Amino acid sequence: MTYDASAREERGAVAESASDRTFWGRLSSWAPYQWLATFATASPRRQFLILAVFPILWVLTQHLGPMLQMLRVSLTDAYPVAPGVEQHFTFDNYLSFFGDSIFWMPFFRTLIFAGVFTFCTLIITYPVAYFLARHVSPKNRMLLLLLLLIPFWVGEIVRTYAIMILLGNTGAVNMVLRFFGLIDRPIPFMYTSFSMGVGIVYLTALYMLLPLYSSLEKLPKSMNEAAADLGAGAWTRFRRITLPMTLEGISSGCTLVFLISTGFYATPVLLGGPSTTVFAETIAGFFHVAGDQWPTGAAFAVIMFLAALAITAAFQRLMTALRKGDTK
Amino acid sequence: MTKLILNRRKFLNTAAMTGAALASPAYLRRAHAQGGEVNIWTYNDFVPEAFKEQFESETGIKVNVRLVDDQGKQFNLLAAEAPNPSVDIMTVAGHRFLQFIDSDLLAPLDTDRLSNWGNINPTFSESDWSTINGEKWGAPILSGMEVLAYNTDYVSPEEAETWDTLFSEKYSGQTAYIIQDMMSIIMLKMGYDGNMVAYMDDPEKAAAIVEEAKNFLIEHKPLVRKYYDGGAEFQQMMVNQDILLGHSWNGPAAALINDGFPLGMAIPKEGSYGFVYTYNIAKNCPNPDNAYTFLNAILASPEIGAAMTKASGFISTYKDASNHLTDLEKKSTSFPDEQLANLQFFRAEANEMKYGLVDPAVEAIKAA
Amino acid sequence: MTRHNRILLSCVYWAFVAYVFVPLILMVLMGFKDSNFIGFPIRSWTLDWYTGVFADTETLAAFGYSVAIAVLSTVFSVIVGTWIAVLLEGRKFWGRAAIFGMTVLPALIPGIISAIAFRIYARYLGIEPGMGAIVWSHAVHNVPFVVLVVMARLSTLPKSQIEAARDLGADPLIAFLRITFPYLVPAIMGASIFCLLLSFDDFVRSFFLGGYEPTLPVLIFAKLKSGMSPEINAIATVALVLTAVIGVWAERFTRRMNKDS
Repeated sequence: MTYDASAREERGAVAESASDRTFWGRLSSWAPYQWLATFATASPRRQFLILAVFPILWVLTQHLGPMLQMLRVSLTDAYPVAPGVEQHFTFDNYLSFFGDSIFWMPFFRTLIFAGVFTFCTLIITYPVAYFLARHVSPKNRMLLLLLLLIPFWVGEIVRTYAIMILLGNTGAVNMVLRFFGLIDRPIPFMYTSFSMGVGIVYLTALYMLLPLYSSLEKLPKSMNEAAADLGAGAWTRFRRITLPMTLEGISSGCTLVFLISTGFYATPVLLGGPSTTVFAETIAGFFHVAGDQWPTGAAFAVIMFLAALAITAAFQRLMTALRKGDTK
Repeated sequence: MTKLILNRRKFLNTAAMTGAALASPAYLRRAHAQGGEVNIWTYNDFVPEAFKEQFESETGIKVNVRLVDDQGKQFNLLAAEAPNPSVDIMTVAGHRFLQFIDSDLLAPLDTDRLSNWGNINPTFSESDWSTINGEKWGAPILSGMEVLAYNTDYVSPEEAETWDTLFSEKYSGQTAYIIQDMMSIIMLKMGYDGNMVAYMDDPEKAAAIVEEAKNFLIEHKPLVRKYYDGGAEFQQMMVNQDILLGHSWNGPAAALINDGFPLGMAIPKEGSYGFVYTYNIAKNCPNPDNAYTFLNAILASPEIGAAMTKASGFISTYKDASNHLTDLEKKSTSFPDEQLANLQFFRAEANEMKYGLVDPAVEAIKAA
Repeated sequence: MTRHNRILLSCVYWAFVAYVFVPLILMVLMGFKDSNFIGFPIRSWTLDWYTGVFADTETLAAFGYSVAIAVLSTVFSVIVGTWIAVLLEGRKFWGRAAIFGMTVLPALIPGIISAIAFRIYARYLGIEPGMGAIVWSHAVHNVPFVVLVVMARLSTLPKSQIEAARDLGADPLIAFLRITFPYLVPAIMGASIFCLLLSFDDFVRSFFLGGYEPTLPVLIFAKLKSGMSPEINAIATVALVLTAVIGVWAERFTRRMNKDS
């Protein structure tokens, strides 16, 4: 794919060059532009600075700013501050997490769920991405990929209620099973880890599918063919060639899905059962139900965030080690 | 849908009548001269569309409605906007007053400026919960209560007379409730004051009671299908027959009854709690005069109250509003007197202590 | 690759299609139910919910508002995201890791936290709630996705092409516009779809940063309060069809523009 595209572009560049010179040529010989270009590219250092100033300012003010505000709130004893009340600096909000074991259960449950659901998403979407990238002609590929994107245009809530209609006691699945006489009493799918999984994989599949697809698409077919010529079986070829070559896609897909799953709120709340409370629900509780405990909620969010980050960092290390091991 | 259109058309007629009744009073003409706008945060359909159009055309005041979906978000939003909010009127549940008042977010209501204040049933307008720090803080519009709702095809009315049915082995895995609300009800069921006002001077006793209620719910956790949060979830569980009975607010349950679903509701003999949605004026709001004009206009006629009831399923606080309901709507928004006798209102006085104890208990129940 | 494998894989693909589409079909179906609540059994059918959507100016306005927000925020995200990606990819400089970390930050903060953090920060910056604030929050939130996708594509760009262009006398900007940018177009398209989708579906940020005009998800949440009615399914279905039509039209339009130029 990569090679095709660049070759096509080169050919195009040659064919177009006559008409091109008019626009690009005119632009590059236009005096103000020339002055600007010379000014900007006078030294590599200046060139770098011009490129870097805007992104650095942006991430500092727009990305870090809200988070720092959050951090600040998590270290105070009252927020929003009522008039006449003085705000104090405190670590109590963090200590209340470590001091009370009732918060640990949803915390670890969230991390475990996120891990399990990430793995499930990977297992489910890998063959799908593989099929798309390796077995579908390039002409149909985009169409079949877009087909999969359609359902994601429906909002999370509407989709989640549709899953309730699917899995409920009088839902579509139970109705079909009953119709064929496979069951007498409805199977209670809803409000279990299973229904929650069905809903969550629905949300995460897209984030996994795209990185997997793009890494599989880049894989040169010739390598597999060469291996086949050397007599390697399908499984061996997959394990020794395809899998290692797509580790990068797996790693970025899993990282994204894991981090996002730790923050899911609406779907677990709506589809989960009494024993599947996730940490996001605990955090939201501090903002919704007990509206005056923003600092505690903020502190818990920071803790969750750091934990998720630490796990993904460890995971990334593992993947890098794996990749290095393979290339040796 | 045909049903709904019929209702809406009917309402348009009644609204026109309301308009005729509204047209003359002097306060409206004065407001017309002043024009401007009024900003309202409220639930979907709490400001009837026909009333809104009528009000805008007669007063020249533009009504901007911002739809909200729960109390906590309104509080968060208002807290984030304070001390100069964009909102004039919000919709707070009576027992949440104190949280807003303590954070200095509400302005006391000057009822002398509301000539239609008398149109509210005194049960609501003069009730004990409605006066805090010697002031009135909101105009009651709709009333809700915690009820036991049940599928009448499977559960008998006798079984629904007690909260115990909700925790019986017979309906194991077929029940649902909102934990926070259930904590108050369990305390009441155990013979305590679920509002905890009685234990304000005795925090140890209060803690012991919450502990007892918590242990009860943990013990019965294996029997429950779902701890839910919103009325729509409850309705869906009923429709899907994932549950056969559950604790619910009367509004969502009434909406199911009005749709023809075989649902019954009861205030069990151990008692239950009621709450009232009120319109409140935000402190330092941008358009206080228009806010009062709006409040007075919306309180003007029982038809408006009936329209709110039709849309929400909650009970109107207006005198004579039920005269404007259909028989089914009347049935779904009324209870026998002997059941109503078991009802008391949520109170806010002890909320800080109560929720300081109840919130961790709820977390513990979920984590158990 | 054996034929056997191929059939197996295509079965998996179509099973996955079924998994993502069955809830969607149920959603469309429920919009025809003559009742105020979705769910089986369906005793009678009606077209009123669907026709009602087109008569409901509030819903249509919310849809238009959401589309406008999605498009505007996507334009911002794509420009900023591409810029950051070009800075970060293949360059080594002091603080690169820190900048990368900060870049992906907004994507990793849980929704409600991010919304409240944005609300607090908007107040700190003096941004009034409303369309501008929503566009801003969506743009910031979506930048990381653009950066990740564009960086992945950029890492496969053959360096020789840029060098060749530079040898031919093109300055870095022209080299970027002539070589790098066209090479990035597929990635930018993919990232745009992602951003549009995230923005269009966002409830929590839109709620906290919005004014009195509801976006579609905010309107749906408010309606949900009085029950999950077939009306909501009809709205979601109509919105889906409309966005698909707009999407196809935009795709055709850009293709024609490309041909013309």
